[in-house]
Amino acid sequence: MTDLWGQLEAVIEELSRVSDIQAAAVVRRDGLVITHTLPDGVDPKIVAAMTAAIVGTSEMATVQLSQGRFNRALVESDEGKLISTGAGEEALLVALLYKDANLGLVLMAMERAARQVDEILRRGTGR
Amino acid sequence: MSDVRPSEASRARTGIPVLDERLKGGFPRPSTLLFFSDKPTEKRLFAEHFAVEGAKAGEGALYVDFYRAPQLARRELGQFGHFAPDQITFVDAISSQLLMPSTEPYRVEDVGDLRGIIETVERAIEERRPSRVIVDSMEFLADRFPKEDVLREWRRLIDVAHRAGSVICFLFINWTYRDRDLQEIRQMSDFVVEFQSSMRGGIVRNTMRISEVGDGGVQTSWIPYTFKDFIGVTVYFPRILVTGPFNAGKSTVVRSLSEKAISIDRMGTTVAFDYGNVNVMGIEAELFGTPGQERFEFIFQIFAREVSGVLLVVDATRTEDFDRAKHMLELVGPRIPYVVLANKSDLPGALDPEAIARRMDLPAGTPVIPTVATASRGVRDALLVLAEMIIGVR
Amino acid sequence: MPEDVRAALQGVIADLKRIPDVLAVSIVRRDGLPIVHSLPKAMNPKKIAAMAAAIVGTSEMAAVEMGQGDFIQSIVDSHGGKLLATGAGEEALLVTMVKEDANMGLVLLSVDRAVQTIAQLLDGDELLQTEAQT
Repeated sequence: MTDLWGQLEAVIEELSRVSDIQAAAVVRRDGLVITHTLPDGVDPKIVAAMTAAIVGTSEMATVQLSQGRFNRALVESDEGKLISTGAGEEALLVALLYKDANLGLVLMAMERAARQVDEILRRGTGR
Repeated sequence: MSDVRPSEASRARTGIPVLDERLKGGFPRPSTLLFFSDKPTEKRLFAEHFAVEGAKAGEGALYVDFYRAPQLARRELGQFGHFAPDQITFVDAISSQLLMPSTEPYRVEDVGDLRGIIETVERAIEERRPSRVIVDSMEFLADRFPKEDVLREWRRLIDVAHRAGSVICFLFINWTYRDRDLQEIRQMSDFVVEFQSSMRGGIVRNTMRISEVGDGGVQTSWIPYTFKDFIGVTVYFPRILVTGPFNAGKSTVVRSLSEKAISIDRMGTTVAFDYGNVNVMGIEAELFGTPGQERFEFIFQIFAREVSGVLLVVDATRTEDFDRAKHMLELVGPRIPYVVLANKSDLPGALDPEAIARRMDLPAGTPVIPTVATASRGVRDALLVLAEMIIGVR
Repeated sequence: MPEDVRAALQGVIADLKRIPDVLAVSIVRRDGLPIVHSLPKAMNPKKIAAMAAAIVGTSEMAAVEMGQGDFIQSIVDSHGGKLLATGAGEEALLVTMVKEDANMGLVLLSVDRAVQTIAQLLDGDELLQTEAQT
């Protein structure tokens, strides 16, 4: 089990090294923290709950609007951005971006990380 | 270590108030505890917590460690809080294995000699008369020696500890013994504390339950716990849902219980959720407030999973909302323990708990607690009552 | 709500809908109640209003919690299109549904203009109080 955690941490740390990404977290779809690289002063539990609310609600809105499969939710603010996306059945991935981040690069990195998280969790639970 | 034996009437506290309540103050003296799991878990954490709890209270503890050198063990025990070093004595069973010299007064010279090992421990108990003894752990012996010999020595140790008035805890992870042997070991004990560790969606959940051996004794449900630096083991509820009709006072309840809370609300109503963290009486809980308006019920689909318990908040003056309150319980799901908070109980027209229980047609025995959340009255009581319900009343 | 204000809001929606990439538009209260909309009959305006309010409310809190300054907008990206939600004054939000490969530059400019108009129409008036429902 700790090996699984170590693997998830490695994915998040690698993601956080992408230059436009300030920090990242893997959270469970119901809003509990799995692992993160959030800075001190940011409460990971609150980030987890908010990410779950944003993605969960967005997914349901997508269904309401018959817009097909949900990809990601982007929150733009004047000093940064937040991107959250699914990472398998059980988890979500969220990244804090610096202002003016190059979204193209970030999205690619996040997609890769989300696939890795999904893979790790599926292996970990023997599914 | 104190020479004064604790009185027979005083019990060995776990230091976790909800558990000690259930145990009528703590484990009786003398008694035999089995800390058991059939897979690797965090049970050593609880044993260490228990030893340190005694040390903090000025009661001596003896820690028999087959896996760590005393210096390392002492350092790790330090995470549970501060205590006088002479309050915990170790039986060093490592140094001889590593062919290193030892400065401990009690050391096992030869781990190949079962009788010798037990004699050392017996001597330590008789000389030090510790209030608590931890044996970490019995599978070390079960792996090396014939079962009959191990069980025989196990019983001898229990006798010696019993005569010294100690609470003795045996850690045991069962790799090889059959059910029948396990039954025998249980029968030798007064309490069995079982440990489980499971993973759900990437999160490890540690739980334990306490059962008194014999009929009609203490029996808790599986209690989730976690470990906090310098506090030690705490009971942990990952999600307590605070729900109820619009304007009943849910956000106020969350804020009043938590040191820091956030509320996502607009124009007087919660549009997403409230979140707060409470740490009280050896319990840590994450509180999650839902919106009350019907249009936000989709939130339950996201958050009403792994809910430990529910605080159902109703406005005691609004009977017309009681049906809605019951409907919201259904959104959470069946068989989740809940407590009803009869909030705004200070307002004229507020119904009393019995009347509310009747009007809401609540199952017999459902706690209904009058509260005034804006003044933080009754709210903490309600949480503690819920905690006891979750842990299992008996 | 006075008829002229409602008509003006519908005018804002109509203007937006003139852009071919815009599929549907809704103006909602920040507490999740719909005000006016142009959603197709198959879609539930009440559910969408509540979800938009939850998304924006949470996103605004997220911006604060994570030290990212003031919230600008949220964009939900899915296979069939994007869903934009933007503040439109103190009490309202503009929700815009656009096609998958929309010309976002034009859309965002138009949305920007629209929210300013909506804010002017609604802020500082007692108008929205009269819409109160439970």
